[in-house]
Amino acid sequence: MGQVQIFNFQVTTRDIEGLTDARGESIKAMLDSDYSISVDSVRVILGYQVKTDISEKQAKSAIYDLFADPIIEFGSLNESLIDNKKLFPKLPEIAITVGFKPGVTDNAGQAGLDGLTTIFPKASDKSQVSTTMTYLFWGVPNNISPTWLTSKLHNQMIERASISDRKQCLNSKWPNLEFPERPPLTEQPSATVNLEVSDEELIDISEKGLLALNLEEMKAIQANYRKPAVRSARKNLGLPENAPTDAELECLAQTWSEHCCHKIFAANIHHVDHETGEDTYIDSLFKTHIMKPTLDIQSEVDWLLSIFHDNSGVIAWNESWSLCIKAETHNSPSALDPYGGAMTGIVGVNRDILGTGLGARPIANTDVFCFGPPDYSGRLPEGLFHPSRVFRGVHAGVRAGGNESGIPTVNGSIVFDERYLGKPLVYCGTVGIMPRKLADGRQSHDKTPKPGNIIYMVGGRVGSDGIHGATFSSLELTEDSPSSAVQIGDPITQKKMIDMVLEARDLGLIQVITDNGAGGLSSSVGELAELTGGADLDLAAVPLKQPGLSKWEILVSESQERMTIGINPEDCEEFEKLAKLHEVEATAVGEFTDSGAFVVRYGDETVAHLPISFLHDGCPQLQLESEWKAPKHRPILFPSADAVEMGKILSRLMARPNVASKEWWVRSYDHEVIAQSVIKPFCGVNHDAPGDAAVIAPIQGKTQGAVISNGIVPRYSDIDSYAMAAASIDEALRNAVCVGVDLDLIAGLDNFCWPDPVESMKTPDGRYKLAQLVRANRALDEVCRAYNLPCISGKDSMKNDATLDGEKISVPPTLLFSLIGNHSDVRKAVSSDFKQVGDMVYVVGESHQELGASELAFMLRDESNGESGIGGKVPQIDTSRNLSLYRSLTKAMSNGLVSSAHDCSDAGLAAAIAECCFGCDSGADLDISDLFNADINLDYWGALFGESLGRILVSIKPENSEIFETFMKGHECNYIGKVSSGDKITITDSNNLVLVASMSELRDSWKGTLNGGRS
Amino acid sequence: MIPKVAVLSGFGINCETETMAVFEMAGAKADRVHVNRLVNGELNLEDYHIMAVPGGFSFGDHLGSGRLMGNRLRFGLREQVRNFVKSGKPVIGICNGFQVLVKMGLLPGDDDVSLTQTASLALNDSGHYENRWATLEFDSNSHCIWTKGLTRIRVPVRHGEGKFVTADKRLLDNWNEAGQLVVKYVDPSTEYPSSSDEVLPYPISPNQSWRNIAGVCDPSGLVFGLMPHPEANHSTWLGATWTREDIEHGEGEGMKIFKNAVNYVIENFDN
Repeated sequence: MGQVQIFNFQVTTRDIEGLTDARGESIKAMLDSDYSISVDSVRVILGYQVKTDISEKQAKSAIYDLFADPIIEFGSLNESLIDNKKLFPKLPEIAITVGFKPGVTDNAGQAGLDGLTTIFPKASDKSQVSTTMTYLFWGVPNNISPTWLTSKLHNQMIERASISDRKQCLNSKWPNLEFPERPPLTEQPSATVNLEVSDEELIDISEKGLLALNLEEMKAIQANYRKPAVRSARKNLGLPENAPTDAELECLAQTWSEHCCHKIFAANIHHVDHETGEDTYIDSLFKTHIMKPTLDIQSEVDWLLSIFHDNSGVIAWNESWSLCIKAETHNSPSALDPYGGAMTGIVGVNRDILGTGLGARPIANTDVFCFGPPDYSGRLPEGLFHPSRVFRGVHAGVRAGGNESGIPTVNGSIVFDERYLGKPLVYCGTVGIMPRKLADGRQSHDKTPKPGNIIYMVGGRVGSDGIHGATFSSLELTEDSPSSAVQIGDPITQKKMIDMVLEARDLGLIQVITDNGAGGLSSSVGELAELTGGADLDLAAVPLKQPGLSKWEILVSESQERMTIGINPEDCEEFEKLAKLHEVEATAVGEFTDSGAFVVRYGDETVAHLPISFLHDGCPQLQLESEWKAPKHRPILFPSADAVEMGKILSRLMARPNVASKEWWVRSYDHEVIAQSVIKPFCGVNHDAPGDAAVIAPIQGKTQGAVISNGIVPRYSDIDSYAMAAASIDEALRNAVCVGVDLDLIAGLDNFCWPDPVESMKTPDGRYKLAQLVRANRALDEVCRAYNLPCISGKDSMKNDATLDGEKISVPPTLLFSLIGNHSDVRKAVSSDFKQVGDMVYVVGESHQELGASELAFMLRDESNGESGIGGKVPQIDTSRNLSLYRSLTKAMSNGLVSSAHDCSDAGLAAAIAECCFGCDSGADLDISDLFNADINLDYWGALFGESLGRILVSIKPENSEIFETFMKGHECNYIGKVSSGDKITITDSNNLVLVASMSELRDSWKGTLNGGRS
Repeated sequence: MIPKVAVLSGFGINCETETMAVFEMAGAKADRVHVNRLVNGELNLEDYHIMAVPGGFSFGDHLGSGRLMGNRLRFGLREQVRNFVKSGKPVIGICNGFQVLVKMGLLPGDDDVSLTQTASLALNDSGHYENRWATLEFDSNSHCIWTKGLTRIRVPVRHGEGKFVTADKRLLDNWNEAGQLVVKYVDPSTEYPSSSDEVLPYPISPNQSWRNIAGVCDPSGLVFGLMPHPEANHSTWLGATWTREDIEHGEGEGMKIFKNAVNYVIENFDN
């Protein structure tokens, strides 16, 4: 091989009739859809900067062997394609080249490098490939500046851009980016941090070091290093006696971070309720309201296999298989880099599944996002992306992460509210499956670690990316938030790792496994060390992306796509051979021990020695204050409206982003890979009506299924977070009931995303926000117990505030409740679309006058510029009434009596009717007079748009109606009319016409809002 | 006999589980075969009767979908693959697997199995990945062994780069005459047969493929590839609108393709 040099390859679409430059067209469509800017033409040139030692001749052959498609693309080596008059007869007006900053994950570049070594196996192992995109514009409106355009095409946190403006383009002076060389790092020698300082200085150490530790915690660490026993032990090890090393302090900071150890949920809370006079102490919300109910349920059932202690909760699904589920949030990274943040969110939660028990296979993803309104036109604080940009980026990241990993996205939701402008919420969930027993007889949900197991780090390498993610997400977002906390996922490296790990599991090689997420090796090895009673980790053995990382950085770096696995010494050879076959890097980096300490070395130098007990139990309990006083809201001002106007109101509700069709976005998720998808995100004759819950049949050819659903209603927190949490759980269960879930095997996940609820200078209303948390937890406790719905895993993210431009934006208290359940026979599953004209329509469940914080209330508030309030009664839960109704309904379903079932939630019954009609291309002829029997206060607004819980809209074949009614005896079950032919939806109250609307007009407004571009 | 199927895996192929399942349902024995096990000699294609390249995102679709995996096969397994095809054994590529076979030149292919690329799969006109159901119509005159007796089936498409194109449009006529343009997107509201060369509107044609081409076979009719996913409709309860249909539950519309190949092997290799 020759000398190392940089080869520049460029590739663009050939000019062939009937072939478009689809990349350019997509940019054009995005500018039009997001910014209403119309551009004549956009073309894209892909660039590959290749730094290698192959010959010129070899490089030439690589143009069409590797970089350009010989049929549809034109490629060049070291020639600027913009100058090629055949390709681009007219000079572009603006040209912009975007590339990654040095050190940022470049997946296409990585793939290019792999392709290079396939063709030239002898190319230097130091070869590098970096990619760029050049955008050429013609016909750009004059008021659009190249800089503005550039800001829409790249994220300066992770990318570089070079611009040729109109003048430079006229002179054929084209954008140019140098090869992104990583600047050399200088390793900082290990340091000792002196904690024998004043309180102010302790806080200063925490803040400057991004440790996110409070004074009490800093003092607990200080106290540890004052203990004589600790000092003498450290002396014997040759460590500084009376102060932590930087590695120790970093390890403690991440282990004790809010992100990893959930201090607020573990706090001792003094709760005062001014409405009831209650004055009480709650010793840990988690233990009291989440763990206790689940443990109580566990004592009565035999299918809760593993709860709370592992990366995800595991339930027995049948004799041979178990299922597990986990959801995570990736809010802070997604605020800074929506694409990378969301992608690492989804591939990260996939690793939680892979790291459950002895390894589970991820088989389904769910994604729930909360964004600012996509059409937000108000002031945007400096440093924030517009919500439509966040939406697009998050969606693209989750799409790439899920699709490329071969995991279907089966269910999800998108919620919009202005208070998500500061921090979007990005919930990524994954369901996994594993055989109950391995060939060697071990139960796969139990880890079997033993002292002496060799610790392997498997997958990606460690770099300077992702330092301080755990502690950063435990802080509010500011202008100074570090870019190192942002990463881009690498789904292919992870996919190779998943394939390899599952094969290793089936061969019985894995004794213990967990993922490297927040806190990196410090967290993964530190946590597993608790199982055997110690670990000895050698940082010198850890493979690095680049030299020069400091020792503490290697320990806490959160570089992605890594698992930590414990292997019996006699199995190491086979394990390494398997890794090699799959082209996955697996490196022995230490050993699990029973020494009682987590020991971190760098070769012969000990850099950290942390007693396991102090590391995991030393964090002092927070003492917090909570104070509840119900908020006051102005009442809703209802306009006067006749039946036609009611139809128009419904139409406007259908166009609200919270209600509108998300089809354009959801279609670009693969929801059918693994060939198991029974009830899909879409149903109906035109495949565009929304499904309720997902049903999958994960063992191909078998008819037992799993149901996956979600519930989220943050609006109700404005009135009462108890109602918010109760409604979220009921919505998740109601959705599952709609498809016919087996109510005897259901389990839940609670994911709390809260604004900081700790009272401080920055959070003067902390007591109220904490009381909201207390109330939500009490709802979770009571509703889950009543529904026999144990929470098997969960997560909380407690600092969802952003202070930018001196302005603080806090998210509304948000609980995502996810549910997984059994389906006994997927052939009996029910979808939401009306099936046939003439079918009989019923509302099951009670309708009450509950419009407080409803979607209608918010719409009327927005339309009246705040004149109308959102006050009123928020939907209340009656768990025993709901559950017995759900039981009767699912029984009717398993008897094949129910043709369709759709849950009434956002925008109430009227919206549900419209959606069921979309699925049948039909109208409906309905009379709601019987609905008023359950509540004398119910008016038309409440009946049509109220969001009372426990209600499901079903349709029944006429010949089944009699027997269906017997099944529903004893429950509120009102026949309201028929599915009708034609386009009209009419709703009457006896002879009084209440609402009339055209189904196709409703469909247009429902589909028009969130259409993300050309399709 | 029970035919043995090598279902390739690794590097981001991700439909191998269901592809193995459909071959097993069709009566074959399917092995998950990591490409490197063929490259390193641990396994040999010769020991199999059918090769399947499943769907997925090999190498993340970077540098063009299927290209890098195609290169792995073209450079790493060249003779094994050629010998396999020349020995008259069936090969199928689905979605990303089809892209692999096209990029490595096995499809539409030539009599010599020269592995020269003559067509490609470009980005969908929509510019993005999509998962939606489509109706396919098969050329009943084609000699493709995989599609014998098939008329129409409904299956999901799940791709971003599925627009079948070529640089020389005359090739399309040649392939057409040779019966290689074996499956096309079709408007389900029309009567069978009604496949047309006129590009159908989106989303009936989800990608605006030339002549509505959804899949092609090689001159021998043994190598077949298509963008849509027949393996994802292996059972009736996986259909897009099965809850609206009065059906007897059982085998899905995609199964026949796999059974055809398994039966072909039994008829031709059982000795």
